[in-house]
Amino acid sequence: MKSGENYSYSRRFFLKGIATSLLVIPFLQSCQEKVITLLIRLSGTNHILGHRLRVKNFPKPSSQIHIPYLIVGGGISGLSAARQFSKKGINDFLLIELESHLGGNSSNGENKYSKFPLGAHYLPLPNKQDAALLQFLEEEKIIIGYDSKGFPKFDEEQLTFAPDERLFYKNNWQEGLIPKIGNAAEDDIQFKKFFLKMDTFRTGKGADGKYFFDIPLSLSSSEATIRAFDTITMQQWFEEEGFNSKPLFDYIDYCCRDDFGLGISYVSAWAGIHYFAARKQDSTQDNKDNVLTWPEGNARLAHHLQKYAENKTLKNHLVYEVKSIDGKVVATVFDADKKLTIEIIADRVIMATPQFVNQYLIRNRKIMTQNFHYAPWLLATLVVSDLADNGNYPLCWDNVIYGANGLGYIYDQHQSLQQVQSKKVITYYYSFSSSDVKKSRKDLYQKKSTYWKQLVFDDLKIAHPNIESVTEEINIHLLGHGMISPVPGFIFGKHKKEASQNIEGKIFFAHSDLSGISIFEEAFHQGINIVNQIIDGSTLD
Amino acid sequence: MGKKFLKFEYLLLFAVFTIATCGLVYELVAGTLASYLLGDSVKQFSFIIGVYLFSMGVGSYFSKFLTKNMLNTFVEIEILVGLIGGLSSVVLFMLFESVYSFQFILYLLVFVTGCLVGLEIPLLMNILKDKVEFRDLVSNVFTFDYIGALLASILFPLVLVPQLGIMGTSLFFGMINISIAIALCFLLKSELKKVYLLRAKAIASFVLLFVVYLFSNTILSYSEGKMYGENIIYSNSTQYQRIVLTHNKSDYRLYLNNNLQFSSTDEYRYHEALVHPAMSMAKQVDNVLVLGGGDGLAVREILKYEEVKNVTIVDLDEGMTKLFKTNKILTDFNHNSLNNSKVKVYNQDAFIWAKNSKSKFDVVIIDFPDPSNYSLGKLYSLNFYSTLKGILASDAVVVVQTTSPYFAPKSFWCINKTLMDIFPQVDAYHAYVPSFGEWGFSIAMNGFETNFNKVNRQVEGLRFYNFQFDKFNYFSKDMISKDIEINRLDNQILVRYFDEEWGKL
Repeated sequence: MKSGENYSYSRRFFLKGIATSLLVIPFLQSCQEKVITLLIRLSGTNHILGHRLRVKNFPKPSSQIHIPYLIVGGGISGLSAARQFSKKGINDFLLIELESHLGGNSSNGENKYSKFPLGAHYLPLPNKQDAALLQFLEEEKIIIGYDSKGFPKFDEEQLTFAPDERLFYKNNWQEGLIPKIGNAAEDDIQFKKFFLKMDTFRTGKGADGKYFFDIPLSLSSSEATIRAFDTITMQQWFEEEGFNSKPLFDYIDYCCRDDFGLGISYVSAWAGIHYFAARKQDSTQDNKDNVLTWPEGNARLAHHLQKYAENKTLKNHLVYEVKSIDGKVVATVFDADKKLTIEIIADRVIMATPQFVNQYLIRNRKIMTQNFHYAPWLLATLVVSDLADNGNYPLCWDNVIYGANGLGYIYDQHQSLQQVQSKKVITYYYSFSSSDVKKSRKDLYQKKSTYWKQLVFDDLKIAHPNIESVTEEINIHLLGHGMISPVPGFIFGKHKKEASQNIEGKIFFAHSDLSGISIFEEAFHQGINIVNQIIDGSTLD
Repeated sequence: MGKKFLKFEYLLLFAVFTIATCGLVYELVAGTLASYLLGDSVKQFSFIIGVYLFSMGVGSYFSKFLTKNMLNTFVEIEILVGLIGGLSSVVLFMLFESVYSFQFILYLLVFVTGCLVGLEIPLLMNILKDKVEFRDLVSNVFTFDYIGALLASILFPLVLVPQLGIMGTSLFFGMINISIAIALCFLLKSELKKVYLLRAKAIASFVLLFVVYLFSNTILSYSEGKMYGENIIYSNSTQYQRIVLTHNKSDYRLYLNNNLQFSSTDEYRYHEALVHPAMSMAKQVDNVLVLGGGDGLAVREILKYEEVKNVTIVDLDEGMTKLFKTNKILTDFNHNSLNNSKVKVYNQDAFIWAKNSKSKFDVVIIDFPDPSNYSLGKLYSLNFYSTLKGILASDAVVVVQTTSPYFAPKSFWCINKTLMDIFPQVDAYHAYVPSFGEWGFSIAMNGFETNFNKVNRQVEGLRFYNFQFDKFNYFSKDMISKDIEINRLDNQILVRYFDEEWGKL
C-alpha cells in the first residue's frame, strides 16, 4: 500500500497541493534534462603529425644517437620485438613511437567509470601448439598453471565472464552471435552445413602435414586447393558452395567486417575461412572457444610487453626517413615535443610500422604498397545512465545488433567483479566496409563529430530506443587505417612478399599487415620472428 | 409543518445512524492499523476501544458547554469527524516510519475522533429535545446508534477491508460522514446560519478526501499489497534493492526485491542454523566476518558468544543496514546488534572489499541473496572463494547459505562442489524453515585443526540448533544431484542451474 517513492510523492501532494506539484514536475524535468547534456569528444591516431610525412617540412637534424638496434613503431609487433631482444639478452636497442603512448591498435582510454579499448579488445584462447604465446601468457599470469593433462589453466578473472555474447535478432536478444530463434528451417540446415565445413577446415591438414589454416598464418599448409580460396572473395565461395541463406550470409559478413574491416563481398575466401578454422579450440579440455578480455582491451597485453622497452622508448617521435648508408642505417626522427630533428644511426632497424607509413620513409616502396588496403574504423565509447532494452537476455560482454551498420558494442565493465555500476560504459565498433577505403577515410576526417554521433545513435536505437536520452558522454575515436584488409590475392600475393623482404640485411620489416590479418597473434609472432631472423638468421620462432 | 418536521427528524436520525456507523468504523480502523503495525492485536484492540469509549465520554461531557448555534456546530462537527477519521489511516501509515512518536499520534487521533463522535449524540439530542417527545427521542436515537454499530462491525471485516483496504475504508466513511453534512447544509438551509460558509467547508473537505481516496487506490501501490497478500507496513527503494516489510497477525516478513528474506516467526531456525555450527566448530572466534546479512540477525546470534571480539559486516546496501540500525521493530528483532560496539559495518561491494581487505577472519558467515542473476552469481564463483581464502585465518570456518537442496539441488550441490575446489574440508547441511521450506548451507574449513564433529564452544538458550551437527548433514535421495559443474566467472553455471530449477516452480 505504501512505498518509498509514492510516499514522498503523496506527501508532496499534501504539503503543496495539486497545483504546486503540477508546477514543480515540469521544472524538475527541465532540471533533469539540463544534467543530461551530451559531452562529445573526438580522438584518433595522430594523423596530423603523421600526414606531415607527405611534405616532410621538418627542421634539419641537430644531433645524433648511435645504437645497435632500432625498433620503429610501438604497436604489438614492435613491443614483441623488444621483448624478444630482451629474451635474447640484447638490451642496447631503442624504440620510437609517433604517439604519446605505446600500444598502437592495442591502446585504451579511460573515464571516471571504466577503462575502455581504443582498438583491439580481446585475445581468443591460443592454440595449444602456439608455445610462444602460451609462454607469454604464463609469464604474465594469464595462464596460472597447467592441469594434470597438460591443459593450461587460465585466470578466471581474465576469461570473459558469462554471459559473453548476445544477438539482437527479430526484435529479441538471444544468446550467442549466431541467429537461432526465428530462423526458417532451411536457414538452420545451412548454418549446420556451414559449421560442419568449417570443422573440416579446422582439423584438416595438407600433404605437407600442416594445418590448412593456422596461426600464425605462415604456418598454414601450402596445399594448392586451399590456397586457391585466396583468389576468390568469401561471397563467391559462399555462392559456389550453394549457400543462399540470408541470415547465414549476414552472419559471415558480420564476421568478416569484425575481423578484417571489410565485408563478405570484399575479403578473400581464404581469410574468411581462416577466421573460422584457424583457432583449434584445443587449449581447454572442453574445447571452449572463450576469449581473454580486459576492460581496456588488448592495451592490457601491450602494457605487459611495455616493460621490455622501458627506458628505451622515445614517444612523440616521428621517424620520417630511413636509409642505409655505409653499412649503417640512418633514421631521421622528428621530436614533436622539442620540435627538433635527430639522426639515429643503427646497425639494424626493425620497421614495426604499417606499410602505408613505410612507403613515405623508405624509397621505392610506393608501388608494392598500393595493394595494401586498410579499412578505416570508428569506435565510440558511451557513458550511459541506463541501458534499457526489452530485457529478454541480459547484457553481455559482446552485444551485436543484427542488420545494423556497425558491429555492435562491448560492455566495458563486464569484467568488473562489482555488483552494481552507477553508470554503464560501452564501446561501439564500426568498420567502413566499401570498395573505396580511401573515400571512407576522407569522410572519416571530414565529417563532424555530431554526424558520427548520430550514426552511432541511429544504429544502437534498433535495440535501445532511448539510447539518445540516456547517453551522458560519448568519446569517438577515429582510426584512419584501422587494420589490413585481406582482399583476394593479397595474402599469398607478390606485393606482400616483396614488402616483407629485408633491405641489405639491415632494414627488417615486422607488422601484422605483412601477415595479412590484423590480429594480436600475428603481430606478436612477427616481432619474435624478426628478432630471431636478425640474431640467428632463423626465419621462424 | 408536521410534514416538514417529520423530514427534519428522520434526517437527523439518519444522521445518527451514519454517525454511529462511521464512528465504529474509525474505531475499527484504528484498532486494525495498530495491530497491523505494532502487533499484539488483543492488546491493541483493547486499548483502542478503551481510549475511544473514554474519549466519547469526554466529548459527551463537553457537549453541555455547546449551547449556541447547535445545528451549525453539529454540521461542523460532522465535517470535522469525517475529515479526521477519514484521514486517520493515511496519516498513520505515513507516520509509521518515525516509529517513536507513532503510538502517541495513534492515540491522539483516536482520542480526537472519539471526542468528536462523543459530542455528536448529546448535541443531536439537545437539538431535537424541543421537537420530539423525550421518550421517543432517546429510544430512536439509541436504536439507530446501535443498528449503525452492528452494520459497521459486520461490514468492516467482511466487505470493507477486503474490498477497499484499510485506507480506502476510512476515507470512504469520511466521505459518507461529510456527505451527511453537505446534505444537511442543503436540506436545512433555513435552520442554519452562515449556510454558504458551512457548505463551502463541507464541499472542500469532501473534495480533499476524494482526492486522497483516488490516490490511495492508484498511487499508493495498491497492487503491491495484493501481490504480497499481506499488509505492507514499510517499503523503500534503496539504490540497490526494494525493501518491503509486511505484517500479518504476529508475523513480520522482510522482502528484498520481492524475495522473502525472513519471517519473524521462524527466522530463528534459519539464523541459528546459519551461525551456530560454524561458531561452535571454529578453533577461534575472535574475528567474525558477515557478508551480506545487513539485517543484523546473524550478528545477533554471533554476539551470543562472549569471546567474539570483532564482528565485521559487509553489506552493499547502506539503506538496509541503516534501517536495521534505526527502526524500532527491526532493532527489536536483531537485538540492536548492528549498534553493538563490537560490530563494524562496511557498506561496500563484498567482492571488492574481500580483494582489498588485509584482515584475517576466524569465522565467515555468508548470507548473500540467492544467485538469481549474473551479478549475484559472481559472489558464488570459484574466484570469489579463492579471494575469500586470502582473508582467512589458517583454520577458519566458512558457512554459506546455499539455497534449497529440495527445490534447487543442482544449485545447492554446485556451490558445494565449487567450495570443495578451494577448501580441504567441506560439508553440507540443511534445516527446515517453514516460511522457506527445506533450506541448505555449505560449510568449509580452511585447515585440518578442527572438524565438523567438534564442538569447541556452545551457548545456552537456542530454540533450534542443538550442537549435534550430525543430525543436520544427512540428505535424502530427493535432495541429491550429481554431475554438477563448478561455478566459474566464465561459465556462471550456477545462475543457469538456479534459473532452470526455480523457473520450474
